[in-house]
Amino acid sequence: MSGAPIGRWGPLSGTIAPMNVVVCVKQIPDPAAPAALDAQSHTLVREGKLILDDSDAYGVEMGLQLAAEDGEVTLVSMAPNGEVSGLRTGLAMGAAKAILVSDGALKGSDALSTAKVLAKAIERAQPDLVIAATESTDGYTGTTPVQIAELLGMPSVTFAKKISVANGSVRVERQTEAGYDEVECPLPCVVTVTAGVVEPRYPSFKGIMAAKSKPVDQLTVADLGLDASSVGWAGAGQEITGVAAAEERGAGELVVDEGDAHERIVAFLEQLKLV
Amino acid sequence: MFEWSEEQQAVRSAVRRFVEAEIAPRVDELEHGDVPPYDVIRSLYRTFGMDQLARDRFERTLAQRRAVEASGASAQPSGDGDGDGVRRGDGGAAALTLVPIVELCRYCPGIVTAMGVSIGLAAGTIMRRGTADQMERWGRDLVTFDTVGAWAITEPNSGSDALGGMQATARETGDGYVLNGNKTFITNGPFADTIVFYAKLDDGSDTPMRSRPVLTFVLDRGMPGLEQSAPFRKMGLHSSPTGELFLSDVEVGPDRLLGSAGQAASGEGRQSAKDNFVTERAGVAAMALGVIEQCLSLSVAYAKDRMLWGKAIADLQLIQLKLARMEVARLNVENLVFRHIEMEAAGRSLSLAEASAMKLYSAQAATEVAMEAVQLMGGNGYMADYRVEQLARDAKVFQIYAGTDEIQVTHIARDLLAR
Repeated sequence: MSGAPIGRWGPLSGTIAPMNVVVCVKQIPDPAAPAALDAQSHTLVREGKLILDDSDAYGVEMGLQLAAEDGEVTLVSMAPNGEVSGLRTGLAMGAAKAILVSDGALKGSDALSTAKVLAKAIERAQPDLVIAATESTDGYTGTTPVQIAELLGMPSVTFAKKISVANGSVRVERQTEAGYDEVECPLPCVVTVTAGVVEPRYPSFKGIMAAKSKPVDQLTVADLGLDASSVGWAGAGQEITGVAAAEERGAGELVVDEGDAHERIVAFLEQLKLV
Repeated sequence: MFEWSEEQQAVRSAVRRFVEAEIAPRVDELEHGDVPPYDVIRSLYRTFGMDQLARDRFERTLAQRRAVEASGASAQPSGDGDGDGVRRGDGGAAALTLVPIVELCRYCPGIVTAMGVSIGLAAGTIMRRGTADQMERWGRDLVTFDTVGAWAITEPNSGSDALGGMQATARETGDGYVLNGNKTFITNGPFADTIVFYAKLDDGSDTPMRSRPVLTFVLDRGMPGLEQSAPFRKMGLHSSPTGELFLSDVEVGPDRLLGSAGQAASGEGRQSAKDNFVTERAGVAAMALGVIEQCLSLSVAYAKDRMLWGKAIADLQLIQLKLARMEVARLNVENLVFRHIEMEAAGRSLSLAEASAMKLYSAQAATEVAMEAVQLMGGNGYMADYRVEQLARDAKVFQIYAGTDEIQVTHIARDLLAR
């Protein structure tokens, strides 16, 4: 659910208890390298080294700032082949520990299956707040975080561009097309953050060196108490029936100025109902 | 070691992101806008916690030096880091210094020179040779880059013959020294807060100038009689301010003579200067690697993209030859850098001859690769927008500073012929 706008906020007051924040992070193939789709399943090939999705760096940073010195950030991720490279990046930034769910049975998982797995893993961390990106950079469904919230029975606020926590509630400036809504929601809850929420820190050298000794709890589907038939290909409620190349963008129109260029440009914009 | 470890790759990836976001967009300003590089370097230090790491290391070294001094033993540097005379491996720490050097040099070798001279030479000399009090007074702020250091040895009439041909003098006055002389090609000279200055002892004896002890002093910006010139115009390396120092009757107390009085007065400045050779030469190899990697990467992309007679120039064998030679250079220089890191991790150092060979080869390779990258891109390569012309101008100095190619040859040959 999205909270209703509550108008102008009053000043923050009260002591903030140590926050236990879970940040959902996805480890994805490096976007700088050419991506490939599996010929059979039409899904993204994710067998090589994975990196932390850039869009998750904002959530990690926000989590670290909210958890501050007394609290703690736990990363939760689902990835093939026990991949931890992306998690190490988040741990180097300052997260305390990570939970990784990696299991061959998860191959082919759709957004809902992923949400079931992540929700079970998140429960173990007993968070005050769960943060996720609005969507991943390789999948773009943008549905997993709210599904997690539903499965955990928590409220959710999406598209946060600013977050603060006080008196057992989270206050969010929620990005809208026209501006933003001010939303308040009780903890624990799930909040998705936009790229503008904070500027992610660079991991310090000390952080990078410390990351390799931070705990990563590696779990299987069975460890989470989930039935293998409810996840992966077996549990997917969707099927990719085909993949087609995107239509190539048509050639643009070159306006050569023979004295009437401005009229032609205005006419073109009018046609698009832009002016 | 045949590739960067996972941890080193993480450092590399983080530094690369920083360099591409914070430095690459400002290269023109740093190269041509007369903006000194120091704020960028401080930002790098703060961002990656290098200042805190340096501070922690400083406190450990200082405590050891104080303990040695309290025991009445000589504060002669052992080089072992633990003060017990046993050389230990650095646990791969050399890579933490070299990886940022490689990444910075993909865009701006001048920044590395400015940083390396301040940290490696100025701070390095004070930390190795200074007393605990001198370390506190000058070293503490230098190692974190809160202050900028210069290392002044070269003179207008003595570059490669810096120690023998040195004309700067330190005249004993009973309660201190009076310094005179000119230094040139001094990196950070125009802006340095702290200057490590080498001069020949003038004790009134008739010892020939060449044979006199070399003393090392530490000077502060603004001292009466010390003039720091404006930056020189140079062929390249514009991001590294280079200048002259003029000393005219600069009066200094014994507290500015580096090291304990006995050692310092015996003229251990010669060894102090030589201490830096191996580290400096290894650093140049890492700089060369950065230039080579970037030139190769830009050249491959250009060759695939640039069409000529209806096909990409990458299809032309003369272009392929250039790319292949660049790759050979990259592999060789990378292996030399890896060897240095491995040796440091094992608690061993390159010999002077090995370090000289590494520097000689890397400097020549970087210059050749960068010039070939310009050639591969033709007219575009000669234009600043394509970036390789700057790297070609910058790389040329690798064959000149930190010992010219010719000096490296003599150091290698001397070692071979002494066997």
